[in-house]
Amino acid sequence: MVREALKGQGKDLMENNAYFYTAIILLGLCTAICRAGYFLLGHYIPLPEGLRSALRYAPLAALAGILVPELLPWHPVDGPQVDLRLLAAAIAIGVFLWTRNGFLLIVSGMGALWLSRWLFGL
Amino acid sequence: MRAGFQAVSPGLIALGIWGVVTGIAMVKSGLTETQAIMMSLLVYAGSAQLTALPLLAAGAPIWLIFAAGIIVNLRFLIFGAALHPFFRDLSWRKRLLLGYMNVDVSFVVFMPRFADASQKGTLEQHWFFIATVLSSWTVWQVTSMVGAALGAIVPVSWSLEFGAVLALMAMMLPHITSRPILISVIAAGITAWLTQMWPLRLGLLAAVVVGIVVGMWSERRLKAKVKT
Repeated sequence: MVREALKGQGKDLMENNAYFYTAIILLGLCTAICRAGYFLLGHYIPLPEGLRSALRYAPLAALAGILVPELLPWHPVDGPQVDLRLLAAAIAIGVFLWTRNGFLLIVSGMGALWLSRWLFGL
Repeated sequence: MRAGFQAVSPGLIALGIWGVVTGIAMVKSGLTETQAIMMSLLVYAGSAQLTALPLLAAGAPIWLIFAAGIIVNLRFLIFGAALHPFFRDLSWRKRLLLGYMNVDVSFVVFMPRFADASQKGTLEQHWFFIATVLSSWTVWQVTSMVGAALGAIVPVSWSLEFGAVLALMAMMLPHITSRPILISVIAAGITAWLTQMWPLRLGLLAAVVVGIVVGMWSERRLKAKVKT
């Protein structure tokens, strides 16, 4: 998703300021409704304790949900894609399990990606 | 408050890289720098911004953009429900502000730390949360502006966005401390892989729901095994 957005359209389609600002004010409202909605109205929507404790699984599930499509993207026509990112991520996870250091995970993963691309001439 | 800053720091690296990437994407979609800055200040939601950009560029109807924005942000309703007990006693203005500022990384560092706290809504918890959301907001806004200003200078071939993926991994791995959590993460990952072609990031919502259900299921199974 991020990679697609980066390719960009390069078109100047945002000349209509009224349209643009209406849209982003509404998008800001979306942010507020979804993020603060339960904060504001939660008193009236009590959750059973079982369900509430189940929500502890939400944060890591969300992270996995963000990460996996970036690591293993699907092409609209060709289907699942595998590239050197997966190799680099595996190396980074290995480095983390060995050192327990998050900073080294990032450095080693980035280094592994650049190095392997250079080695394979991609 | 210092604990909050420390806990969120890997998340800030992820946010910073993603901020730059989103800034670049906004300008490349045809927004002026002012528009990009206004969008980042008002919307303050990276995935919603990235989803809305092609719709805006295509001149999609306003209601469609609004609907897309709601759907992309649905996971925050779940996050809000999980966080609500910690903030229920604050005034509505504070709840609105803190809720609006909650992002994925602040939720991810807050919940594992305080989910089992016997007392919910302490000052320590509030300041921890404020530290994470304030630093997240600042890093996101500054890096979005940097990205918008850089525009096309950073070549796509550097794959800077991969740094954000790695930073999120650095946030996630230390919290995988039990078997139900591991199983839940794997199930969420598989779901996200299978559903990634779904529009409007519905796959991410599906991953969150499956992760919760599978996590609870494996927790119960594990307890049942221990008893017998």
